[in-house]
Amino acid sequence: MNSKTNEILLTELEDGQSGFIISVHGGKMLIKRLADLGLTSGTWIKVIRRTLFSGPVQVEVCGSRLVLGKGLASKIMVELK
Amino acid sequence: MTDGKKINIVLAGQGNSGKSAVFNYLTGLHQHIGNWAGKTIEKREGTLFYNDYTIDVLDLPGIYSLTTYSVEEVISREYITHQKPDCVINIVDSTNLERNLIFTLQLMELECPLILALNMIDLAKKKGITIDFKKLQKIINAPVITTVASRGSGLTRIIDKVIELKNEKKDHKINKYGREIEYCIEQLSVLLKDINIRYPVRWLAIKLLEKDIEITKLVGELDPEILDIVKQLCENLEEMHGHDSAVVIADERSHLASQITREIVKITPGRKISLNEKLDAVTTHKFTGYLLMILILGGMFYTVFSFGNWLSGWFDTIFKDWHSWWINNVGITFFAAMGWSAIESVLALIQIALPYILPFYIILYVLEDWGYIARISFLMDNLMHKMGIHGKGCISFIIGFGCNVPGCLSCRIMESKRERFITAVLVTLVPCSAVSVIVFGLVGKYVGLAWAFGLYVFAMALIFLAGWISSKLIIGEPVELIMPMPDYKTPQLKTVIYQTWDALKEFVYIAAPIVVILGVVIQVINLAGWMPAISAFLSPVTVTWLGLPAITGILLIFGILRKELILVMLAAYLGTANFSDALSPQQMITLAVVSMFYIPCVATISVLWKEYGWKKAMAICVLEILFAILLAGLVKRILNFVF
Repeated sequence: MNSKTNEILLTELEDGQSGFIISVHGGKMLIKRLADLGLTSGTWIKVIRRTLFSGPVQVEVCGSRLVLGKGLASKIMVELK
Repeated sequence: MTDGKKINIVLAGQGNSGKSAVFNYLTGLHQHIGNWAGKTIEKREGTLFYNDYTIDVLDLPGIYSLTTYSVEEVISREYITHQKPDCVINIVDSTNLERNLIFTLQLMELECPLILALNMIDLAKKKGITIDFKKLQKIINAPVITTVASRGSGLTRIIDKVIELKNEKKDHKINKYGREIEYCIEQLSVLLKDINIRYPVRWLAIKLLEKDIEITKLVGELDPEILDIVKQLCENLEEMHGHDSAVVIADERSHLASQITREIVKITPGRKISLNEKLDAVTTHKFTGYLLMILILGGMFYTVFSFGNWLSGWFDTIFKDWHSWWINNVGITFFAAMGWSAIESVLALIQIALPYILPFYIILYVLEDWGYIARISFLMDNLMHKMGIHGKGCISFIIGFGCNVPGCLSCRIMESKRERFITAVLVTLVPCSAVSVIVFGLVGKYVGLAWAFGLYVFAMALIFLAGWISSKLIIGEPVELIMPMPDYKTPQLKTVIYQTWDALKEFVYIAAPIVVILGVVIQVINLAGWMPAISAFLSPVTVTWLGLPAITGILLIFGILRKELILVMLAAYLGTANFSDALSPQQMITLAVVSMFYIPCVATISVLWKEYGWKKAMAICVLEILFAILLAGLVKRILNFVF
């Protein structure tokens, strides 16, 4: 298993790439808030696109679209599929 | 009417679930919009008369969970547990079932009679999503009804179910968590049984394990010993799972939702990329997205302003006739003049509301209902972050270009107090339609259109700078954008009309009383003959520092009522609308700069007052007056080199 090399930040995914959420680094409130929206470890997540200057990320998760701020997206670790 | 014929229901659901459409369809014109006691959060209530029954409908705020992130969430759960409505109708977006179910699971924990409305089932079908709602009904042990709220389909079936539920008592389904959590809940439930709180025991236990701030405090006051046990149980959980206990529970709930979704949802992938996908790709693209945004917003402002100027001019001629009628029939006594100034204030309000704000809102809500507004937030998030707020703040700015009043009101969509305030302050600097009358009527007409547009660019740069500075000065962490991206859908006329009507009504309610009172006060000062003294008093600023005629002191005072009065009264004073006779280009630009920034108009001040208290409202006014005077004086001196 070379899982370590596949673990990257959500912000490092290219447009169109997808993976599974491994962990969210942040305060308890933030992690819970994301969990309430369905973003928990093990969830499949796909980056649709982002704006100019690598701004917020539009993602697909649980069959629906979400926009996550850049700072937030950089706290989510994913395992590249 | 007997008591048994009265039913009280609550609508709950996440944003974009079509909850408002359900509310509007059910209650129609029998709506009442107020505030939650002591809060600046809207409370929407309405009544429905159905087969002898009087059904009170309450529309809870659109929220994503029932935890204590926001006031809205606390209000919602308190209402459900304390007021004990006969039934909670959970409106669910069928195209986003999994995320919506997390909220449904939280509602179920509140142990209230529940009906699930699978809304927008038509859109789900279009996307190839089939939902086994009978199975869902079994899983959650509550009626599930498919609806298309925008067409009203399925809504009467909900009401029939509500009446049916009222007459039979049903057991609540309990969602089981993992073994370890269930053990903790059991332990706590025993202890909590004898505590007298108006929340379900199991729910209390879950919230304590989730370390809910409010519930922990509440229980701690009644029995502090329980908290020690909670602490111990949480630590055990954390040891086992390696996460905070709150996260463990939220995680399990989320997994349960996805497990249920897997059981009941079948997706047949579409053969080709849908129109929605294509539209989304173009409108949020790195380049075409921004280009389209400029075109759409530019088109919107152009339409509103050209329509507004036309209608406003038409009103002008009519109101002028009314004024002559008033003078001829009521006279020109002191009281007659006061009476007219009160009427004039109301007319002024109409003259802003109908020509500018109404069409502005209509277009805005069409864009929102279509799904475009969320795209703007996405595109602008990066830039907005430099100002210490996130992408949604951009919406308030756009509204502010039409009128600062609804612009400031719309800041309620921001999550934290800090961001609400920063956004509101910045919105007061956005040149509204009244200011644009001055900029284009004075600078655009007599100095050149390029200068007028230059002033707009200048204003935006200043707003950016002010935002950047305030984000550094006002302490607190910036909130990150978390926003669902809705699918594009055909805007519904009914929804747009309702939203426009609500917004317009709110504008009139807030602005009208203060505008009338201040209109009369200024008229009293005028009739008392104090104006020359005031303009003499202000002349060190207006004449010496700004290089403007002394009369501008008075104009600027009247301008607080309505910014464009500065121009209207200047024309009256000069006896001509050809301003180039009296003012040099340099003076025109200086006057326009002062008018743009010097103070929010009374209606805006009244909103700031209501939302943030009088201290903050006054502080904003004083700061902006000083800032505008300083800035315009500097501009004047720089312009010396140009002209």
